[in-house]
Amino acid sequence: MRGKFSCLVAVFLVLGLMIAVSACSKKTVPAQPGFGGTESSPYSGVGSGAGLDDAKWRELGINSEAEKREFLEKVKTFENQDIYYDYDAYTLSDPAKKVLDEKIAFLKQYPRVKVTVEGHCDERGTTEYNLALGERRANSAQQYILNSGLQTQKLTTVSYGKERPISTGHDEASFAKNRRAHFVVIY
Amino acid sequence: MLSNGISSSRLNLLGLCLLCMALCAGSASGADIVVPPISSPNFQRIPIAIPDFKYMTPAETQFSHQMGETLANDLDYSGVFRPLDPKGFLEDPQTMGLNTPEIKFPDWKRLGADFMVRGSYQVQGSSVKMEGRLFDVGGQRMVKGKVYDGDIQNWRSMVHDFADEILLALTGERGVFDTKIAYVQKVGTAKEIFYCDFDGSNPVQVTRDNNLALSPAWSSDMSQLAYVSYRDGAAKIYSLNVRSGAQSVICGYTGLNMSPAWRPGRNELAVTMTKDGNPDIFLVSASGQILQKLVQGYSINVSPDWSPKGDKLAYVSNESGNPQIYILDVSSGQKKRLTFAGNYNTSPAWSPKGDWIAYSGIAGGEHNIFIIRPDGGENRQLTSGEGRNESPAWSPDGRMLAFSSTRQGGPSIWVMLINGTGVRRLTRQGGEQELPDWSPRMNH
Repeated sequence: MRGKFSCLVAVFLVLGLMIAVSACSKKTVPAQPGFGGTESSPYSGVGSGAGLDDAKWRELGINSEAEKREFLEKVKTFENQDIYYDYDAYTLSDPAKKVLDEKIAFLKQYPRVKVTVEGHCDERGTTEYNLALGERRANSAQQYILNSGLQTQKLTTVSYGKERPISTGHDEASFAKNRRAHFVVIY
Repeated sequence: MLSNGISSSRLNLLGLCLLCMALCAGSASGADIVVPPISSPNFQRIPIAIPDFKYMTPAETQFSHQMGETLANDLDYSGVFRPLDPKGFLEDPQTMGLNTPEIKFPDWKRLGADFMVRGSYQVQGSSVKMEGRLFDVGGQRMVKGKVYDGDIQNWRSMVHDFADEILLALTGERGVFDTKIAYVQKVGTAKEIFYCDFDGSNPVQVTRDNNLALSPAWSSDMSQLAYVSYRDGAAKIYSLNVRSGAQSVICGYTGLNMSPAWRPGRNELAVTMTKDGNPDIFLVSASGQILQKLVQGYSINVSPDWSPKGDKLAYVSNESGNPQIYILDVSSGQKKRLTFAGNYNTSPAWSPKGDWIAYSGIAGGEHNIFIIRPDGGENRQLTSGEGRNESPAWSPDGRMLAFSSTRQGGPSIWVMLINGTGVRRLTRQGGEQELPDWSPRMNH
């Protein structure tokens, strides 16, 4: 009972201290707008870094506003570039490998970020077969990245099969856009 | 909701089968009435007359028409009967007699009816006593009679039960009027599990994860509904206890956990998991404990479906280079390729009697529904030229298949007889519906 109470007191003390420190730091360091994530960011959303504090940014190897901007630009490019596959296939084409090489360069520059590789399929074929096929696509991309010597724990895969198409048309142009691996940066 | 349904039907079945006893003397069983199976080329729907039910007291007289209409809809749905248009009936259903000597058989025969149903009911307070009698017009005799006693709110399940009795009497097999169909419903960008009655009515939402939920699968006693959900960020297999509403994880191994299929009569499932790096098929307990690896290799192995005895497994593998259906003999471990026509055959579904395997195959550039004998014979295409048709699921009487179709826009659930006729749309709500699974009968 007594132990629990003192524990609670300690928690409150620490919390109070943290609030005091953060209030204090706000007063003493007013000349760093944006670095710390309070300013609205064009990259808002999950994993945009909006909630990251300076210490977290430094952990990622980012020490200035300029570096942060560079990083966020690269994240945007990283996430916007998918790789594409042939029908009912999961082998990597040469253009896909080229895109993956760029991703590897990014991951080497920022070794602390994590990446989820999503495998997707076009709407043809059944839900369950496509879930398995989507995982193979994600795995093929993951394997290519790992073969470059990057550590395993940075990459996770998830297959959405044909359940989350990026293009909702029913023609080959749409199908081709949906047969892809998509990459999400987590930091 | 479902538990209410179960208790009420139990109540109905307590209804007295007084008339059954009276029938025994007349040797009026269905055995001497030969109805060929629907899959036979000689099959023709049986014409049946169903006049409005007779109200014995002038209370709740609207049921008179509603009961007759519901029974006619059920019998039409079954694919076995062709209910005649009541406009042609000669007698006023409220003055028409109920007993064999009072039935004007020659009149019904002239109208083209092979059978006639005479129903009546009596309302007392909040309860209703309903009686149904099935007459053989040619033989001029009663084939089946049954009395129901119960809450007035349950009149519909009484009618459904009598429709089942009519099917049982004339075909030797009950209908499916107490069954449910589970399916995936698109809600915004999410997909959720729902189930509805056999005729599409009373949809009930099962998951509310605002995420991806897929592949609902009924257990053989209808107590559990397994499904796949991404609610934890990855595809895991969950189970819903249909009575209590409790949900629990069955398989949450690393990688994909998908394609649940309950083994008939046992508390086990076949599932596809990629925990070992390849989509392999495992046998797991209801709590997800791995009992056996059933299918493995370098190929994609998905969509297992059990034979009714639970000794064989139909599944999809791309070991030949494209998806085809295979059959595994579980005890011997022997695999046999079933489908050879076309280069994309998936979603096997073993019929309840074990005599057919339905599947979805690409033909004419689109997915269509096929049935094939488990030995590879008699491959029949049931749909063609009408959108994408996928995910066949058998009705528990083996007369019908539910499937998803894009023939009227986005995917919705449809039902057809296994001769490809009697196609009807089941789900009409907005959004998209897919991946149907038909429950077993509630009253076995």
